[in-house]
Amino acid sequence: MSEARRSSFATLGLAALGLAVLVSGARPARADITAECEVFEMSAKVGDKPSIDPELQRVEKKLKKPPFSTWNQFTLLSHSQKALAKKKVEPINLKIGSATATLVEIVDKSKVRLTVTMEDGKGKQMVSNTTTVEAGDHVIFVHSLANNEGHLLSLTCK
Amino acid sequence: MTRSPVQADAELMEHADGERDDAELAERLNRDPAARTKIAALHEVGELVRGHLELASDDVPDAKFAAMWRRIDGQLDAPRGAWPRVVAWFDRYRSHVITGAVSAGAVAALALVLRPAAPDTGLAGRAGGAIDVRPAALRASPEIDALDTPGGTGTVINLDDEDGHTAVIWVSPADTVENL
Repeated sequence: MSEARRSSFATLGLAALGLAVLVSGARPARADITAECEVFEMSAKVGDKPSIDPELQRVEKKLKKPPFSTWNQFTLLSHSQKALAKKKVEPINLKIGSATATLVEIVDKSKVRLTVTMEDGKGKQMVSNTTTVEAGDHVIFVHSLANNEGHLLSLTCK
Repeated sequence: MTRSPVQADAELMEHADGERDDAELAERLNRDPAARTKIAALHEVGELVRGHLELASDDVPDAKFAAMWRRIDGQLDAPRGAWPRVVAWFDRYRSHVITGAVSAGAVAALALVLRPAAPDTGLAGRAGGAIDVRPAALRASPEIDALDTPGGTGTVINLDDEDGHTAVIWVSPADTVENL
């Protein structure tokens, strides 16, 4: 076997070995368990003309039904998407007050157990809640404000 | 002049190969039937060898011949530039490259099959971030595991519609409970 052929065999052998190492090493490190959650912060009030922000299309149907039909004007204050890692408190930036969300665990492969806390604009905790909800379903927190207005926080995870 | 049998046979072979053709040898062939038989036998053996070689050459795949011709052409007209050289290299070592690729594939397949199983997360069949979203009709109602509403009152309402369930957690500050 000529020197050139021997070196090309060696090169190919190394390439094969490298590829094998890459393939075995390319196995993605086990990703942490996460849930992708979408958060809508809304304000609600009663006005002359009913109006719902177009961005709230995904919850619009629900807002037109009781108990939300108390109000007829809904405005989107903020919208965010969060990847919640298991047992990691994730802050949610709000226009009014603040909130956190924590993925406690995933239950039966299709449900998420979430802990949500909300504080009002003065930093006072209004609610701390843990709910187990199916992926795709909603949890909506409503904080009644003075003047018959409402501060709403809607979460859905999958 | 007398010749040894070996010398005479050598002359006959040269004649059979077309390398010797003198009058003396022709005359000898005319009067020696054994020599003619030897010449005929030599021709027959030659035909057999030629036929065998032709058959063997037919067995060589056309692709191999084509590659050989390309190589010959390439050597006659040496490639200029980097890309033609790369192509020429691959052409020249095609079988090695294929062998290497197949080996790499086999090793990669083995590595995939033999790699250690992912640690048990307690969530069979799920990659991180992928939660099964079941059809709305099959979803269970939300379950409130804990609810704390400091300084206020919490009311839980469960709404169902064709899009699924909605857990409404209505928090009313203590001073506005009467408004609900």
